[in-house]
Amino acid sequence: MNNNIIHCIKEDYVEYLRDESRTIGKAESISFPKTGEEVIDIVKDMYSKEVPITIQGARTGLAAGAVPRKGHVLNLSKLNNILGMRVDEEDNYYVTLQPGAILSQFKEKIKLRKFDTSNWSFESKKVFNNFCKKEEMFFSPDPTETSATIGGMVSCNASGARSYMYGPTRKYIEKLKLVLSDGDTLTVERGKNFAVGRSLVLKTDKGMNIEFVLPKYLMPNSKNASGYYVEDNMDAIDLFIGADGTLGIITEIEVRLLKLPEIIWGVSCFFENEASAIGFVEEIRRNLKDIASMEFFDKNALYILKKQKERNPGFERLPDVDEKMKSVIYLEIHTEEEKVALSNLEKISKIMNSSKGKSKDTWVAKNDVGLNRLIFFRHAVPESVNMLIDERKKENSKITKLGTDMSVPDEHLEEVIKMYKKDIIKENLESATWGHIGDNHLHVNILPRDNKDYDIGLKLYEKWAKKVTELGGAVSAEHGVGKLKSKYLKVMYGQNHIDEMIDIKSTLDPKLLLSPGNLFEVGKRSE
Amino acid sequence: MKIVVCVKQVPSTNEVRLDPETNTIIRDGKQSVINPFDTYALEEGIKIKEKIQGEVIALSMGIPAAEKILRDAVSVGADRGMLLSDRSFAGADTLATAYTLSLGIRKISEVDLILCGKMAVDGDTAQIGPELAENLKIPHITNVSEIIEVSDNEITCRTITETGKRLVKTKTPVLLTVLKDINMPRLPSIDGVINSLDASVIVENAESLRANKSYIGLSGSPTQVVKTYIPERKNESIEIEGDSETKSEKINSVIKEVI
Repeated sequence: MNNNIIHCIKEDYVEYLRDESRTIGKAESISFPKTGEEVIDIVKDMYSKEVPITIQGARTGLAAGAVPRKGHVLNLSKLNNILGMRVDEEDNYYVTLQPGAILSQFKEKIKLRKFDTSNWSFESKKVFNNFCKKEEMFFSPDPTETSATIGGMVSCNASGARSYMYGPTRKYIEKLKLVLSDGDTLTVERGKNFAVGRSLVLKTDKGMNIEFVLPKYLMPNSKNASGYYVEDNMDAIDLFIGADGTLGIITEIEVRLLKLPEIIWGVSCFFENEASAIGFVEEIRRNLKDIASMEFFDKNALYILKKQKERNPGFERLPDVDEKMKSVIYLEIHTEEEKVALSNLEKISKIMNSSKGKSKDTWVAKNDVGLNRLIFFRHAVPESVNMLIDERKKENSKITKLGTDMSVPDEHLEEVIKMYKKDIIKENLESATWGHIGDNHLHVNILPRDNKDYDIGLKLYEKWAKKVTELGGAVSAEHGVGKLKSKYLKVMYGQNHIDEMIDIKSTLDPKLLLSPGNLFEVGKRSE
Repeated sequence: MKIVVCVKQVPSTNEVRLDPETNTIIRDGKQSVINPFDTYALEEGIKIKEKIQGEVIALSMGIPAAEKILRDAVSVGADRGMLLSDRSFAGADTLATAYTLSLGIRKISEVDLILCGKMAVDGDTAQIGPELAENLKIPHITNVSEIIEVSDNEITCRTITETGKRLVKTKTPVLLTVLKDINMPRLPSIDGVINSLDASVIVENAESLRANKSYIGLSGSPTQVVKTYIPERKNESIEIEGDSETKSEKINSVIKEVI
């Protein structure tokens, strides 16, 4: 192997010891492979030396999945080519790309239909020419952090606002090529290999059969990115989506595109009290079917945004919100005809007026310019909260935001919001809450002012994880478990089921080298 | 105060897509919007109306589909719209467009204030405002960044010039072209959007405006666009590897090369 591709971790590479979760780790070496073959060479080398590998993309994750504990960092950001395109008999278009491809760049390429096809096969180029003549398409998963890599999104089964209508990343992954811990490779394709009950057999590209029994747990009946996806007779590909890099290294991904709706309108609805906003959400959910996303911001989030706007010129162009407004619900209408969109607006207006809101207290965006303004507003909320925490972190390095990522089934939304609020008030904590209310998936962010707040926040987090589990929800709905939420995964499934997950990992990765610390602690089995 | 705001329909995006086979621009025409600069003029008109009362009329020259942007103007607070649309207006340059718009304003009659955006994002000429004022034989002030005082008879505003800022006071009627700094355009409410569907948008043609045929459309345009093309830009990205010292040396040499 060419030794020049493995570098010692010196000061040049310290940034690769952390990710967006602000967790800092340790490692001895790092590599930036540019081809699948290089990945195989590096993995074989590490396997022979028994060096653990932590896989990285753009390090935008919030659960420290890409933060190494020791050993080697395999950074896939340069394995980022887009390799080709195909179309099926039903006129669905698929794109094959490498895991380091960046979401925002990929979306832009689809929008402008501008791909570098110079190394594509003749067949792919032909499909691309037809793709250019087709109606506009899009890749629907839309995490807020658009600088994420597609590989990272697959690894944590990322979602976003529009998952309310379209579902998470998982639904759009058709094929994966993986490198296993010993350097052997595996190809999994949707619809080709299914478990029988809970028994699954995988065949590596070298022809070796790997057989194992899947864990027996039932997954929650809500949006979920917590632990391995398992169910009776499942498709083998689903095991590797959302596996947090613990089973194999993804080197190639085929994604499915959707036709972009003709009409995309955004509506921000402002309410003077939170209970009205929640009642409104439940009514919208029952009555409207063209809603692609349903987002929520509480009064604290609005207040922090307002304060940052006063101080930060970057936020100067944000529209002002009337101070008496205590909650915002952002809805996005996706449909094919303008008259349908208008009838949706009329229904929203009626429901708002009957939910103690006023339909005049809304912002409607009917084109890209307006939508970009509403989306800028939506993204500015987490950004302004992060800025506030960064300021506090300068004074006290222990302080970090405690952001939840839990979801519950529809019938428990009100109950869980009441619990969050009650606990925060009781403990006198500062917080800001926003997120995907349509999926009953809110990010409650505890903003510690000191170490005491931080410790109380951690305890609350654990309490909430237990309650959410009792209600049939998930401890991670979209960020993945990574290292930061492994203890809550244990709360959710219990050690016995964690052991079953470890069994799968041990079969595919016998030396336990891939992404140590993600999902579970392999050393902490119950026996 | 009777305020006319001139608005132009432009594509919602600056991104140009080319058909890889024919190399022609793909126009799906899916989204047309009010020229962004004009949205500031519209907001300023609505603010003045809210302050001293009056009427805001959105005026546009364009294809029949441009009625949509006039309804968009009503959805944020304009009272009504007027669309000047006729096949014989096609191919107009700024001179012919300004003449046609002036006919619309004369038809509206007794206008105190005309507000235009600084320029259109698709044409970039910034000529319509001043030419329209000359047609109407009224004063104009360009690049207005703030309206300080306004009454039915008089207006005081701040303008940005090449050398600094200038405070200008003038009697109405007057035409102003406004800059982006002047305000933050509002988004419509659901009520605004629904009400705009029934709003009055009058369509006028060459005949109803009694236009002089030699001043409109192609025949009234001394200038013509012969060809449009995307300027060639050379974007190259170089990956620089190595330790800090090697990287800084390489960066240094790249910068020297460019300079």
